[in-house]
Amino acid sequence: MDSAFITNLILASVRMATPLIFLSLAELYSQRAGLVHIGLEGLAAIGSLVGFLVSLITGSPLLGVLAGAAVGILVNMIYAYATINLCAEQIVYGMAINIFAPALAAFIYRVYFGAGSELVQVGLMTTLSALLGITSDNFLLRLLLEQTPMVYLAYGLVIFTAVYFNKTKSGLNYKAVGEYPKAAATLGISVVGVKYAASVICGALAGIGGAYLTTCYSTTYTDGNVAGRGFIALAAVIFGRWSAGGVLLACLFFGFCDALQIRLQVGSYGIPYQFFQMIPYIATVAVLTVIGMKKAGPKGVGKPYLREQR
Amino acid sequence: MKKIFALILTLAMVLSLTACGGGNSGSGGSGDGGATPPAGGSGDSKTYKVAMICDSSISDGGWGMACYNAMVDAAAKYGWDTEVSDSIAQSAYYESIVAFCDLGYDLIYAPGNQYTDAILQAAEEYPNIAFALLNGGADTPAKAANSNVTSLLPDSQQVGWIAGILAGLMTETGKVAFIGGMEIDTTKGKYAGFVESAEYVGQQEGKTVEALDVVYSGDFSASDKGIEFAKAMMDQGADVFFGDASAVDSGARQAIDEANAAAGSVKVYDIAQPGDFLGQNECIIGSQVTDNSGLVGLCMEAVENGTFGGETIFGTMQNGVLSCGKLSDLVPADVQEKYNSYISQVMDGTFMQ
Amino acid sequence: MKNKFVNILVPLISVLLAFVIGCVVMTALGANPFVALQALWTGAFGSMRNVGTTLARSTPLIFTGLCACFAYRCGVFNLGGEGQFIIGAVVCCFIATRSGLEGPLAIVLCLIAGALAGGLWAAIPGVLKIYRGQNEMIISIMLNYVATLFMGVVYTNWLRDGTVPQTAPVPDATKLSRLFGLRVTTAFLLALAAGLLIYYFLFYTSKGFQLRAVGLNMTAAQFNGFAVKRYILMSFIVSGAIAGLGGSADLMGTQYRLINGYASGYGFDGVAMALIGQLHPLATILVAIFFAVLRVGSTTMQAATGVPTSVSDIIQALVIVFTVAGLAMVKLPQFQAAIAKLSARKEAA
Repeated sequence: MDSAFITNLILASVRMATPLIFLSLAELYSQRAGLVHIGLEGLAAIGSLVGFLVSLITGSPLLGVLAGAAVGILVNMIYAYATINLCAEQIVYGMAINIFAPALAAFIYRVYFGAGSELVQVGLMTTLSALLGITSDNFLLRLLLEQTPMVYLAYGLVIFTAVYFNKTKSGLNYKAVGEYPKAAATLGISVVGVKYAASVICGALAGIGGAYLTTCYSTTYTDGNVAGRGFIALAAVIFGRWSAGGVLLACLFFGFCDALQIRLQVGSYGIPYQFFQMIPYIATVAVLTVIGMKKAGPKGVGKPYLREQR
Repeated sequence: MKKIFALILTLAMVLSLTACGGGNSGSGGSGDGGATPPAGGSGDSKTYKVAMICDSSISDGGWGMACYNAMVDAAAKYGWDTEVSDSIAQSAYYESIVAFCDLGYDLIYAPGNQYTDAILQAAEEYPNIAFALLNGGADTPAKAANSNVTSLLPDSQQVGWIAGILAGLMTETGKVAFIGGMEIDTTKGKYAGFVESAEYVGQQEGKTVEALDVVYSGDFSASDKGIEFAKAMMDQGADVFFGDASAVDSGARQAIDEANAAAGSVKVYDIAQPGDFLGQNECIIGSQVTDNSGLVGLCMEAVENGTFGGETIFGTMQNGVLSCGKLSDLVPADVQEKYNSYISQVMDGTFMQ
Repeated sequence: MKNKFVNILVPLISVLLAFVIGCVVMTALGANPFVALQALWTGAFGSMRNVGTTLARSTPLIFTGLCACFAYRCGVFNLGGEGQFIIGAVVCCFIATRSGLEGPLAIVLCLIAGALAGGLWAAIPGVLKIYRGQNEMIISIMLNYVATLFMGVVYTNWLRDGTVPQTAPVPDATKLSRLFGLRVTTAFLLALAAGLLIYYFLFYTSKGFQLRAVGLNMTAAQFNGFAVKRYILMSFIVSGAIAGLGGSADLMGTQYRLINGYASGYGFDGVAMALIGQLHPLATILVAIFFAVLRVGSTTMQAATGVPTSVSDIIQALVIVFTVAGLAMVKLPQFQAAIAKLSARKEAA
């Protein structure tokens, strides 16, 4: 346990937390409007593929991210229409998205690249330190500068979200929709409008979270590369008590667990590796159990909003 | 009860509707083979058909892709038609195999030991179809009731040696690393061969070489885990990598390339397998090549001659299934020479004797 | 009666719609959709053997479908069917391969132990929901991952048999007997029996009525003096036990050993089956069989036409997407009003 181990562990934690931050914020925006969304896994999968393709074709990872956001919004409109207008069960619809979107992604990849061709690799977004031409072994400099612009965007979004939900009128109205939609409607807030806005934001962020994996993290696309991050994000929102800051901490914690898990496995063979891989999941259950039942969640979450029943 | 009855009726209706759709096609004949080119109808010159099943994607840049290309290459050589079902779930192994059997395929090619149960089951039910199990157990063919199953088994120790010798020669830090996908015996064999040969060669060259403990990603598609494993192992001083985990390997190479780029020169190397991947990434200094197409080709030949069945075909350097890929310029000429002499020891059977 | 008719019409139209889209995609890829549909049919029903395979395939789906159905009836979301199924199979595997017992006694013991294990595993989210106010969905999803990884430890380390990470097969005497020599086993009959039992319990016993009352309106049930918490916990345990029983039966019926990738996706599939079956246990069984037909048939369809496997995944997802949306739509007040208006006009005429 030397200092290099710890600094590298922290760097890895931040690296692994970033896609989770995007996905968790997506979930947060959705749930704050009363829409629980377990389909982020699927949205991220399609976002990841489209981000990969567009950045490959255009050569611009930034365009890839934008395309990922766009396709995330597009697919999430299916969810939005079914749950908002048709009042379909949100859980089931999230699941349907989880089956549909990854299949679509696998399909597009196969049709576009054909069978068994060469391994396709794509250039990644450059880090700030590379842009500035700074190379350093200093831990703090590496932590602050050796990141892609997307990482700064993620942390910027966390701050923005915290301010938006707590300090702005519009943010409070937004939250009201998730808490008491009928009361919000009587105040003249367009409940359906807010829910749609939430779905657009959620789709975009989830798409970005997926696209991050193929434009900033890994140079290749493989089916199933989202690997459960969508569900972890769901846990992070509850873990973080539906606040932006809490969500950030939860994501860093999950990133830390994942990074630690990998490093423990490298260090000590003999214990079945699956036990290390369980750490993030068991930690979630354990921490949620300890935190206990502070009902901080939006009260209207998961419930359909029928205008007629006001 | 009415509700239930109605539901049953519905189901029947749905099913018969699909049936009608099928009936309209008018193509008749259940074993028609659909859109795949129909088996040559002229009589004497039958076009044989081979089908591959795979649980990973055939575009994974690793195992799936290499196995698929092996089938396609062998089929091109022998003039066979090919078809593939990839990314199939564990619960669908048997069904996928049987689907191809029902469509009249001559050879079913399953690259991986995990298909053993499904292959044996189908082989019992379809005695006239040949089944080739790549990386199958040496004792599997004996278990097939109709002796129509052949195991294709590349020698994993030699695979490990081919990489380990190069690793032992090239390591500066004296630490080499191996990333596995699943804890299967062929992977363990590759790791063992890799470790013993790297240590042995290091000793011969007057340096101490040790291998980090093997790590397993637990699947073959998580390239992000490859990135993180490689970073963690480089932190521990590893400077030559070998792996057996498909897409995970490509993640590891990406991380190595990044580290090299940050350091300004290529200091950490990777050895690829099972195809010649030199040039795919900057860090690849050589490849261990397994000619699976040769093994599949042997099966095709046996099917055509009616001699297929019940054997285990080993793949070694001696019979040409295993070989070394091209070496990169990063390997100095004198080291290349040493490498070739060690490899010829493997060929003679004198290596590590 | 009108409502019931609509409830049946919606899945029917959804399936047709999904297939039309699927056919368009296949045509675009250059495959003949009629050949594809025919292959689908022969794959699922072409021979007695295929029928047997289809029913065998439906068995685990029925169990996880019933698992989801039972919990939903009490108003809780058990998304952990997969984990409970796996834990049942793991415990069954331990007993079948290590206890030294074989034959009918071992089978009965395995089934009971599998159900108990599944029930206990499901009790975790249940207890955490009641006493710690936790969201049962998250906990049960997390426990799915833990169960899958735990199964990994079992087949790679503890009960590993031979060269690959998998356990030894269940002894021949402990395998469930096949029906008519086909791939389908008595596990399928067990699944049907479980479905009938749940149907009877939910609709013909007072406890079942109370459970449904809790599911329909928890607050009202509380006012009526029902032991809401006890029902919630019970629904979790029973629903987990159904999944665990399924895992055990499936292991002894078709799977025989634990191996990488086993049971992946069964839990979420089950939830979809239950919802398309509108939380009716017997309808859930039919839907599960229907999805098994789709899956077995689409394997042949894929092999015959060479379209990517993902096409059949997309069709299945579309069936779920359309059905769930359609069923929600017909429950909308506007839609109900339109139906009422329509039927009134008809009666007037």
